[in-house]
Amino acid sequence: MSMQITIRKRLVSRDRQFALDIGFESDSHRIAMFGPSGSGKTLTLRAIAGLLAPESGRIVLNGRTLFDSESGIDLPPQERRVAYLFQDYALFPHLTVAQNIAFGLNHGWRNPRRRELPPEAAHWVDAFGLREIVNQYPSEISGGQKQRVALARALAPKPDIVLLDEPFSALDPALRTRMREELLSLQANLEVPMVVISHDPQDVEILGDHVLEIREGRIFGSGTGKRHPPVYAPLPAHVA
Amino acid sequence: MTFRTLPFLRRTACVGAALALTVAAPSAFAADLVVSAAASLTNAFKTLAEQYEHAHPDTKVVLNFGASDVLMQQIVKGAPADVFASADQTAMDKAEAEKVVQSASRKDFAANQVVLIVPQDSKLGIGSLKDLTRADVKRVAYGNPSSVPVGRYTKGALEAEGLWDAVAAKGVPAQNVRQSLDYVARGEVDAGFVFATDAAIMPEKVKVAVRVPNRTPVTYPIAVTTQTKQAQQATSFVQYVLSAEGQAVLAKFGFQKP
Amino acid sequence: MDAVWVPLLLSLKVAGWATLLNAILGVAAAYAISRWRSSARDVVDAILTLPLVLPPTVLGYYLLVLVGRRGVFGAWLDRIGIELVFTWQGAVLASTVVAFPLVLKSARAAFEGVDHQLENAARVLGVSETGIFFRVTLPMALRGISAGVVLAFARALGEFGATLMVAGNLPGRTQTLSVAIYEAVQAGDDNTANLLVLVTSVTCIVLLVVAGRLVPPAARGVGEVYERRAFRREAVGK
Repeated sequence: MSMQITIRKRLVSRDRQFALDIGFESDSHRIAMFGPSGSGKTLTLRAIAGLLAPESGRIVLNGRTLFDSESGIDLPPQERRVAYLFQDYALFPHLTVAQNIAFGLNHGWRNPRRRELPPEAAHWVDAFGLREIVNQYPSEISGGQKQRVALARALAPKPDIVLLDEPFSALDPALRTRMREELLSLQANLEVPMVVISHDPQDVEILGDHVLEIREGRIFGSGTGKRHPPVYAPLPAHVA
Repeated sequence: MTFRTLPFLRRTACVGAALALTVAAPSAFAADLVVSAAASLTNAFKTLAEQYEHAHPDTKVVLNFGASDVLMQQIVKGAPADVFASADQTAMDKAEAEKVVQSASRKDFAANQVVLIVPQDSKLGIGSLKDLTRADVKRVAYGNPSSVPVGRYTKGALEAEGLWDAVAAKGVPAQNVRQSLDYVARGEVDAGFVFATDAAIMPEKVKVAVRVPNRTPVTYPIAVTTQTKQAQQATSFVQYVLSAEGQAVLAKFGFQKP
Repeated sequence: MDAVWVPLLLSLKVAGWATLLNAILGVAAAYAISRWRSSARDVVDAILTLPLVLPPTVLGYYLLVLVGRRGVFGAWLDRIGIELVFTWQGAVLASTVVAFPLVLKSARAAFEGVDHQLENAARVLGVSETGIFFRVTLPMALRGISAGVVLAFARALGEFGATLMVAGNLPGRTQTLSVAIYEAVQAGDDNTANLLVLVTSVTCIVLLVVAGRLVPPAARGVGEVYERRAFRREAVGK
């Protein structure tokens, strides 16, 4: 899986200015983006997913152009085949776990039925051990279960890439370790590339083959393998 | 510092104070004379009131127009009217029965005629009351007989010719005679019953089709209320209406002698 | 009993139609306004909310000017055979206009309260914008919208001033409960007036209770409800 990303965007809110200026390429299936809060990690993911429009740049996944400001291409999020795991999961509170997971399998006007579970959804329900809570509502399940439901929902439509926004931030350390391992084995079993963003160095170490360090809207550290980029290193030049 | 920059509570207090001032504005004049008069007397009584105030500078005449029965109801329920002028005897009889007017002061002061009017540009060619039963006459306005004198006169006249049921089926009851006039003036109805004096107000919008013969004479009584706090002024006003000057004003608007 | 039954059924019919129209128009307008990115949208919202602020008789007058036989649209309506003045359809028009802002305001607030993150999640999952409206936005806004619709129905049921202007007081055809009460009072018929008032009040209470049951429960999972209990600041007993 190959990925070429350049994103440039200026954001102004009241008296704050923020300039996002990201550029990187990768062939890895396991990309980790690492940086402090407010550094632009989430914005980058949103741009890839199509929820944020860059002022200029290119987003190409596996040879498929999702965005190119020069040629005017800008695919709507619906067509990008990108999966997004939101930081607070964004589960639909008015739908059951089963309906949530099956949500992306049907793009029409009707929600999945409560008592039915399409096979693609059933596969993930079993893979994550969610059978017992299949008819519960998101408000009735635990944080770890919510995370798995969100992941199942994201994976069911067979996306081209999965973006995970601080996937473990709301979990306790023990659960975090377990979920990290689950995600690790998932990465090994699936062909789907993943981009994980986190401010936790351990997440990055375990889940990332290609690690990008991002600060103040720019990338200035990029490494592969088990190299640890120094935490909060002084600001060097822009790395493409 | 502008209004907008004031903290919320102070802004609310400012608005509240402004509202309170408008409400606290002084109300009724010391020597206010409240006259409840039938809707058909609107124009005539406005002129009469002006002239009366001219002759009696210390009095302000407050006029209240509406359907006679409704005015009577208001007085029965305690409305502070000093004089009541009705468009038919029935309403005044009801008032007397409820003991809200002084029988001794009751006098007839004008007479009128009921007419059938049509919109000025009407092409229906209505020439008689019977024409109202034609299929191409779809809507006829008249005052609601249960509460409006002109409605009662209308019903009486139509019943006399056996036409009431047919006309009532396509009837549009109005709250008072002026509303009946308005319906015709707007062209919302094909014809309507009003007083001759009402038709005379809008010659450019309505024209008289039939002068309705009355079974009972259309006479207007006036009286002083029993609850009045200004009996002298009230009586004085009634006398003015009956005087030569008052009658002249009424005649100018098309009213006849009682 | 006819004097009560006929106006009651007419009132329910008129209010029912008016509320149905408002549910559709109000929700559509509220959604459009809530998504519109322009400073003009507050002006449009204010104009659409005017019927709530204007006296009903003024509204009735404006409607008459528009749809009366000599009105702006009156001639055209006449030609295509639509009669609004002095008809129950005219009463529906008056009630719809008067109650419209109630649905508009509630629905707009409800739509703006929907978590954008959820809509974004649906987008990324591939659902079309229309699909998102029916599957995510509308269900999440339904509670607020329902409250507005119930209010609109109650308002339509009690509508008087504008209705009287446009539809008149034709017994059996446009004499709704409120107009019937007005006429009874005018004619001095207190007995009928009292009966009608009683019937109207009971009907409204029953409707509001039923409507309250129908409003969907709050979207599950908005935190734990705080349970007030009898607090104690000192130890009891020994």
